[in-house]
Amino acid sequence: MRILLLVLFIFNFIHSQTNNLAQSTPCEHPLILLAEEKGIKAIPIRDLIKFKKIVEDCERLGDKEKIERMIYNDWQRDYEKAKKMQSWSSTHAMCVFVSFAYYFVGQVIATKPG
Amino acid sequence: MKSQIQVLIIIYSIAFGSFTIAQPKLSIDFGMGFYEPSLTGFDQNEDVQFPTKSLFNRNMLVNWGFYYEFFNNARVGYNSFTSFEIGKNVKLPKSSAAYSRSIKYRMFPIETYFRWKPKIEMNFTLAPIWGRGRIEIDTTPGDKEEDWDYVISSFGGDSTQLNDMGATDAMLNDWLGYSSMLGLRYYLSSRMAIDIKGGFMNNFYNEKSWRVQRQKVNGPKMKIDDLPIFSMKFVYGIR
Repeated sequence: MRILLLVLFIFNFIHSQTNNLAQSTPCEHPLILLAEEKGIKAIPIRDLIKFKKIVEDCERLGDKEKIERMIYNDWQRDYEKAKKMQSWSSTHAMCVFVSFAYYFVGQVIATKPG
Repeated sequence: MKSQIQVLIIIYSIAFGSFTIAQPKLSIDFGMGFYEPSLTGFDQNEDVQFPTKSLFNRNMLVNWGFYYEFFNNARVGYNSFTSFEIGKNVKLPKSSAAYSRSIKYRMFPIETYFRWKPKIEMNFTLAPIWGRGRIEIDTTPGDKEEDWDYVISSFGGDSTQLNDMGATDAMLNDWLGYSSMLGLRYYLSSRMAIDIKGGFMNNFYNEKSWRVQRQKVNGPKMKIDDLPIFSMKFVYGIR
């Protein structure tokens, strides 16, 4: 077990030395690849200005289609994830709707006592 | 056995690690709220001339909040609606005082949602409310007790309720309530959105539980239960 952990540790150490920042065009920048793989919201806030600049550079170099596809995929990813309610969330929504309807219908049809 | 525990810890940390990276979504929002309370303690006060009511100090609420997506299609967070009023030269027996009043509706919402269209989301909010009212009056230091007695008497209290005053004085009141809202959110980009909500809130406000320097006093009559409320805000997703 110790040997296995040691091998894993050494492997991680060696792997971490790989320079993955080397890219030939802005369209292959790690931030673009991150946005393609995990979505635009995965870009850290501190890298947003840099990301915007890279996107502009990529579009200027003629790969506008890639950026459009990335943005479209991001919308689709969010939409697919949130288009159906899961587990207890639909029950919660129903409770809110019933209380909302009860209140506003009550405002319209309720009469004051006396 | 010991190595099995180590393996279990490694597997759990990898599994839980990927969960915590994938799930959290934090967003902040700010905007305006609108409602129509009935603050008769201020508006129909015959002794103290509080500032004249207007759209800004009665119906508009400053709104800000933050949300954390803790489950698929569900967020939890904090949302504050605040109504402000300020005025100067409020005539009291011994001084001409500066006055400020705030009513804060602090909500702790649980919001569930679904995307109706790729850019349009419908959301459903239930929130307990911790409300707080605050009235500050800057009186002349030497005669402040008499001036405060006058204000409290104008709300229906009596002058024996207040025995001593401090350097900074404000009337405070806390109450509980609840709110229910339906909303529609339009996404401008994957991070930014405009959110419009409508619903109602109910506050269990008691005018007799105000306090000044830990002494119970009477406060203004306000009808803030069974109120329709609307809000419009700008939402920014941090991650």
